[in-house]
Amino acid sequence: MKLLYLMIALMLNSMVLHAAEDSTIELNSADTDIHDKESLRRGAYLFINQCTSCHSAKYMRYSRLAKDLEISEEDVMSNMLRFGATKISDTISSAMTPDAGKNVYGVAPPDLTLEAKYRGVDWVYSYLMGFYRDENSTFGYNNRVLNNVAMPWILAGNQETMSKEEFSRDMRDLTNFMDYMAEPIKPWRQNFGKYVIIFLLVLLLPVWLLKREYWREIHGLR
Amino acid sequence: MSLLSQKSMDLLHWVDYRLPLVKTFKTHMSEYYAPKNLNFWYFFGALAILAFANQLLSGIWLTMFYTPTLDSAFASIEYIMRDVESGWIIRYMHEVGASFFFIAVYLHIYRGFLYGSYRNPRELVWLIGMVIYLLMMAEGFFGYVLPFGNMSFWGAKVIMNIIGVIPVIGEDLQIWVQGDFFIGGATLSRFFAFHVALVPIILITGIFLHVIALHQVGSNNPEGIDIKAHTDENGIPLDGIPFHPYYTVHDLIPAVLFILAFFVTIFYFPDGGGFFIEPPNYIPANNLSTPDHITPVWYFTPFYAMLRAVTITFLGMDAKFWGLIVITGAILVLFFLPWLDRSPVKSLRYKGRISKAFLMIWTFCFIGLGVLGIKPADWAPEWVSPTFTVIYFAYFLLMPFYTRWETCKTVPDRITTDGQGLQQ
Amino acid sequence: MNNDSNNEIRNERRMFLIGTSCSLFAVGGAGWMTPYIRSWNPSVRARAAGAPITIDLTTIPAGTLLVEEWRGRPIYIVKRTQEMIAFALELNSELLNPDSADDQQPEYARNNYRSIKPEILVIEGVCTHLGCTPKFRNQKNTNGFTGFFCPCHGSKFDFSGRVYKGVPAPTNLKVPPHHFTDANTLVVGIDEERQA
Repeated sequence: MKLLYLMIALMLNSMVLHAAEDSTIELNSADTDIHDKESLRRGAYLFINQCTSCHSAKYMRYSRLAKDLEISEEDVMSNMLRFGATKISDTISSAMTPDAGKNVYGVAPPDLTLEAKYRGVDWVYSYLMGFYRDENSTFGYNNRVLNNVAMPWILAGNQETMSKEEFSRDMRDLTNFMDYMAEPIKPWRQNFGKYVIIFLLVLLLPVWLLKREYWREIHGLR
Repeated sequence: MSLLSQKSMDLLHWVDYRLPLVKTFKTHMSEYYAPKNLNFWYFFGALAILAFANQLLSGIWLTMFYTPTLDSAFASIEYIMRDVESGWIIRYMHEVGASFFFIAVYLHIYRGFLYGSYRNPRELVWLIGMVIYLLMMAEGFFGYVLPFGNMSFWGAKVIMNIIGVIPVIGEDLQIWVQGDFFIGGATLSRFFAFHVALVPIILITGIFLHVIALHQVGSNNPEGIDIKAHTDENGIPLDGIPFHPYYTVHDLIPAVLFILAFFVTIFYFPDGGGFFIEPPNYIPANNLSTPDHITPVWYFTPFYAMLRAVTITFLGMDAKFWGLIVITGAILVLFFLPWLDRSPVKSLRYKGRISKAFLMIWTFCFIGLGVLGIKPADWAPEWVSPTFTVIYFAYFLLMPFYTRWETCKTVPDRITTDGQGLQQ
Repeated sequence: MNNDSNNEIRNERRMFLIGTSCSLFAVGGAGWMTPYIRSWNPSVRARAAGAPITIDLTTIPAGTLLVEEWRGRPIYIVKRTQEMIAFALELNSELLNPDSADDQQPEYARNNYRSIKPEILVIEGVCTHLGCTPKFRNQKNTNGFTGFFCPCHGSKFDFSGRVYKGVPAPTNLKVPPHHFTDANTLVVGIDEERQA
């Protein structure tokens, strides 16, 4: 029986490893902290200023972002709202319609609200860090993680002028924001979860004593 | 105070005369005698009911916010996750709850394997249970299609194409079931109706009958000893104890632990590490692009691996057809278990070496198939999944022979309180 | 004797454990029900759709009714003529609550005109009887009535939305929170103080 448990444990282990692994490309660890509001705010500005030229985030409301990241609504209204968004409750839209994108790049730029959930944060970070010069590519840049990428490297200027540390911090912030955007409740649920767990552990005590109390007489019956 | 309690007793009598409250409580709780040696394997039935209740309630709430249309299904999930107050936790309770329901039910079924709970006189309990399992798979499948992410779409497509494999009528049947030439709005609406109404109604009925049938014949136990063989002068089994209060307080502990594990998952791993919600389901259905690794949710993967394992053409029928036969057979064979097991004893504790070894190998193969079903098709050498599939079937089909031939230990008459048999 | 007192201690202990467990389960049950109850609140989408609305007043002819929608309710905006304003002031004895003593309007609209500016009336077009939309009558018809007339059960209101005596509606029509951002721009749905 022990042998069986061991074999099962090994198999389950390999399953868990599978969930994290990608087939061939080695990914860098994003190492983001979703509770770091400063980082999320920087990421938010980067996302709005750079990514929304082509990508939308159509499930993410500006009002949610303002509230969660503690940015004042006036700030969001005057510095963030772009491309047809007029109300704080509007969602993040893009300058480019999907059809226009398809004409220019061959594929419509995907909506990025859930990208971090779809690809995983490590993938997003590695992708952002993975652009390199390649004269054979349509836009002069190729990507280590996504070969023959159809996206022009909009942050090429930043990558070239900034130090490696500064640039990777920026990309980490951006990844962090995208992780938050994919599930805005994530930081809250991680904070709140521990109270539920503590409560249930407390509940376990009287329940266990109760069982012991009743079963004392069963064991006594012997 | 005593007047008040007198009044409430009067009311109870009034109701009880017209509706058998007290009698029902006695029959199924306070005077339902369960063997006193039930171990942790016996928790999972109650936990499955708990999980099912959670599915019902969270599911009913989700229908209030979900939109079963091609254009809005995916967006309505994000509406629940973002705009509906506390909607995210209701959705997670349902999504994580589905997997927890399956975990409880798989362990519950496996308990039956271990202690021969399907044997005479519990054949009907087992058969009804198998119907419940089958319905759960249907329910899980329909439910997984509803968010209409890309994995929903391609999962549904693969299953629909399995219908198309049926000779002669397959293709027409597939179109009829889909209500369209592809998985479209018509398909989504009918899957929704099945998922939220038809299947749950049958499930509730099935679970009710499962419990009633069990209480008619009484619970088995790890020793496989029939406790009704030794009763006191009132006909109460000597080795039985009232379900209430003993097993109600007993089951509260695993229930709290189960809920604890459930909420740890909800708050910290709501995607179940990619097993409960697969990453490709975070992009909307795209009928032009299959996800790179297409795998069903974990509770289907053993059968999915069997489907992929069949690669031979035989009797003029192609491999697809035999794959369908194999997975149908893999589930159907479970229904015949009560009649395949010819052992003189119920519990594995008293069965011979072959039964013990074979169950161990079978368990390994079943879980192995589950792993293979998750991995890409070329992950393991080609011979592995066909071999595991053959062993899966051999365990059942050879059972009438090895259970009769092997030497079993003698089953004791009575149960001691430490859970062991007592020779008299 | 010893056995009896033992049983008593035992019973007490059981009662205590049952009490503690049940109370904790009750707390847990309440916590678990919370999301189900909260999910029925208006969603962020509903709240966004119910956000304050802005109305340009320059285009409304005097003496006519403009209907706008806020939170699914009709909002009646009337640019009142001098006659309408004067007429409203004569009526007092026929009205149930001419001084608007109740809470059917914000403080800043508790005056004879039930408005911030006498010439601009902003009220909810929801009859206080059973919720029908009262019709606007600015021309005298055969009954000789002008004001708001509810077709469902015949309730009557004057040009300030004040209810007449002897009709089913119990209170004046409600004045929604509103303010003016400039001379010709009205915002319905939020007060000036809350805005600031």
